[in-house]
Amino acid sequence: MTTSVTAPELSGGTVRAERHLVSDFEGWRIITKHQLQHYLRTNRFLGLLGFVFVISALTLTFQISTGVATVRVEDLYHPSEYTCNFLNYAPLWIILAAAFFGGDALSVDFSTGAGYYMLVLPIRRSVLLTGRYSAAALVTLAVVGLYYAFAIAGTAYFFGGASVPWVGIAQSLGVAALFTLATLSVAFCISSSTRSPATGVLITILALYVGFTVLESLTELAGLEPWFSLNYAGGAIYSVLDTDFLHKQIIPLGASQSYYIWSATVREGLEIMAAYVAVFLPLSAYLYHRKESTG
Amino acid sequence: MGFFEVSHLTKWYREGAPVLDDVSFQYDGAGAIGYLGPNGAGKTTTLKLLVGLLRPSRGRALVNGLDPISDRKAALWDVGSVIETPEPYPTLNVFEALETVGRSRGLERDDVDREVDRCDEWLHLPPLGMRIGWLSKGQRQRVALASALIGDPSVLLLDEPTSGLDPAERVIVRGVLNRLKRDHLILMSSHQMLEVTEVCDRVAFLHQGKVLLQTRVDEIPGRIRSRQVDVEFAEPVAADKVAALSPVPSEIVRISERHWRIPFDGSNESRARLLRLCQELGPVVQFTGSSLLLEDAYLELIEEPTEAA
Repeated sequence: MTTSVTAPELSGGTVRAERHLVSDFEGWRIITKHQLQHYLRTNRFLGLLGFVFVISALTLTFQISTGVATVRVEDLYHPSEYTCNFLNYAPLWIILAAAFFGGDALSVDFSTGAGYYMLVLPIRRSVLLTGRYSAAALVTLAVVGLYYAFAIAGTAYFFGGASVPWVGIAQSLGVAALFTLATLSVAFCISSSTRSPATGVLITILALYVGFTVLESLTELAGLEPWFSLNYAGGAIYSVLDTDFLHKQIIPLGASQSYYIWSATVREGLEIMAAYVAVFLPLSAYLYHRKESTG
Repeated sequence: MGFFEVSHLTKWYREGAPVLDDVSFQYDGAGAIGYLGPNGAGKTTTLKLLVGLLRPSRGRALVNGLDPISDRKAALWDVGSVIETPEPYPTLNVFEALETVGRSRGLERDDVDREVDRCDEWLHLPPLGMRIGWLSKGQRQRVALASALIGDPSVLLLDEPTSGLDPAERVIVRGVLNRLKRDHLILMSSHQMLEVTEVCDRVAFLHQGKVLLQTRVDEIPGRIRSRQVDVEFAEPVAADKVAALSPVPSEIVRISERHWRIPFDGSNESRARLLRLCQELGPVVQFTGSSLLLEDAYLELIEEPTEAA
């Protein structure tokens, strides 16, 4: 049944404001700002920031009061070794932040009314995704930045302000930024495949932290390098500062048996992270594009 | 002026009967179309397909001549919608939530301010600095309506637009829609027959995924038999006397001492007989079935879909 009806045009309309079709870049800026406004006021951002602050402050206080940072501070050959040790937990903070900010970034559109507000805007879904992705990366880096501030403060306290390895820290931060993008790519992919925001956050933490840690241990027990693991690649964040880096350590376990401990080289870490971004970000964009608001 | 078209549109979610079954219609120009049907008829599904929230299983849905799936940005640029319950982030304030919509529709910053002021004037928005999470349901609905209106898009797709609003708010929204329909194309699903009667020029009835009837509201009296009349007497009339007017006295509704709603079989003979009997009870001021005409049409079409189609 097809009916075409044209209503008569009546006078007395409204005065229209000038509008233009926004470019994808403008759309990205609008969505990034929108998402940042949201994230910066969420309890999860403020809570995670507070948590990182408290843990980092306690760690530094303990180190200052005991003089111990994994080993006695005076036994460290170089200030960057201290910074490297302090940054050992950087991948964990990044995974937590990525799960908190990325785990529900897309599923929220299909589980709450947010999608009926955002998905009807004249903005491509891929642009919506990249805007949210950028905002999530920025707030994750804000959390990580706080942690780095404590690492720098500790290095300056123990070795003097002039000894802070700024170049190494900048490189580490660069690796951390790529790790952030890789973890967020996985988190966004999980989020685009789930409906419940809480499920997305939980699966992201389980997959990135628990899952990879278990698989890594099993692989190392078999004497193999866990090159597939994003968690493994995350070690490059602090190993870039390590002056005594070993890619492979062999620990003898007795009669003709050894246990292998692998550490990703910086280049290897960067390659694994880049591969995760290259695979999971387009995949999440595809899944998000295909997803329907059936609820 | 706006334009939208659905052609042989079919949608099913899983195996089984389609939610929408080979629906076709198109409207252009200006005016308001009421999209009516019982729950599960496929009204919201149609609206979702028109804004690309769902993909057609078969057929196509176009807005302003563009496919909202393959050409989302251009297709939705001139479309405002309120579908289901749109919820901006609860952490944002009213202005921030509307600013995002306005900017994405291509408004400059100053124009966003003006547009938000216009929406505020029309819809009496809550304080612009108040966070969405603190708003009542009715206030949120008004913000959602403002988000559809900001930037003044030519096509408005509204799914139960007055849902959650109190009577005073409904009057405001109906006034806004009546003003907008002069130069906008509005497709509005609703269960509020009075609202549809007051706002819409045309209606499309949907039942079990199929369009049963598309017509102008003023053509309905010629197509549908009204099966209730509102009778207003000049003087109060006793209930037992009114009860004798209908074969089903239990369905007679007493609106006031002088004002009664009386069911009948819908035929012209019965209607004429009923008027005569009423006049025997006392002077009749008003004798009309118009206030419930859409409801009658709705019920008649649902009861006898094949015959009515």
